[in-house]
Amino acid sequence: MNAAEELKQKLPAAVVSTGMQVNKPMAVIKKEELLNAARKVKEMGFDHLSVITGTDYKDHFEVVYNFFSYNNKHNLVLKVIADHDKPEVDSLTSLWKGADWLERETYDLVGIKFRGHPNLIRILLPDGWNGHPLRKDYDMNTEQFVTVGENGDDIVSPDGTNLLRRK
Amino acid sequence: MEEGGFRVDPVTIDTTKIKTAKKKPVTALEKLEDTGLINTVLAAREREGLILFSTIDQIFNWARLSSLWPVSSGLACCAIEMMATAMAHHDIARFGMEIFRASPRQADLMFVAGTVTKRMAPRVKQLYEMMPDPKWVIAVGSCASTGGPYIESYSVLKGVDLIIPVDVYIPGCPPRPEAWLYGIIQLREKIKNEGYGAKWGLNK
Repeated sequence: MNAAEELKQKLPAAVVSTGMQVNKPMAVIKKEELLNAARKVKEMGFDHLSVITGTDYKDHFEVVYNFFSYNNKHNLVLKVIADHDKPEVDSLTSLWKGADWLERETYDLVGIKFRGHPNLIRILLPDGWNGHPLRKDYDMNTEQFVTVGENGDDIVSPDGTNLLRRK
Repeated sequence: MEEGGFRVDPVTIDTTKIKTAKKKPVTALEKLEDTGLINTVLAAREREGLILFSTIDQIFNWARLSSLWPVSSGLACCAIEMMATAMAHHDIARFGMEIFRASPRQADLMFVAGTVTKRMAPRVKQLYEMMPDPKWVIAVGSCASTGGPYIESYSVLKGVDLIIPVDVYIPGCPPRPEAWLYGIIQLREKIKNEGYGAKWGLNK
């Protein structure tokens, strides 16, 4: 029995389905039960949250969590389906400190809001960037340029005249 | 003359050969001629044969291309090849370039080694503007030249020549140290043919 089926046995109400994701046991979790399931996953010995990613499927978002257990050398993948209009899931920063920057990255590039995150701001792109670039409906036609202000802040604008040598 | 001593000729200058200026000297060359220094030097050269004549362009360009000091800055994986080029095996110390300066104020060459992201672009431009003249730029790798594999990206500048002038482009992803050396030699050829005397009005 793999870790996903073990989780389904312990929390049958939270797990929608189980399966395999690239040789790793995978479980799809209900959005409301994410914190409960994550707490149970941590009790099962998964002490490392290695990756959080988000995927845009046009009608919904999928947030993917990759866990690893250093003691048992086991992997586990959790997936949560979020609405496309208002993508919002619970933050796991209370359980894994490392979730902080991973969730900020997912917020930055995919635009998923994490409820209860202590400091949910952009991490890679500068503040003031328009849109979330890994979404399917991101506007690739308007180019955005960054300049540095007097106090060292990044200033984002579609106008690059201060930066470019020619148009 | 004493045994073992140096023989010293008295310097004799034929003052009749020195032309007196009739009109007021205007250009720098005329001013130099006015001082009579050229005739003095020519007389000394005839006597000793130890004076080498050159143009300002040649001597300045030779000095500049023989000790190009690069800024020690790298943006991505091309910088790893830059380190390999600087190490003993390929050894850019042969070109007088081994001193990677930690400050742009002391450098006259910038390798743009790697992907220039939108966020890094104003910083790269600032580094270039902090360098004193004369200065040269080599864009290394396909990213710095055109954007490379990130040409369709939202966050990468499509070539560093959009923000600063580039003298030499080195293709490759990343270019091997041999390609770096070839690019450096091309830049030295370029500097050799630059005309700085014309800028100062000496070649009129």
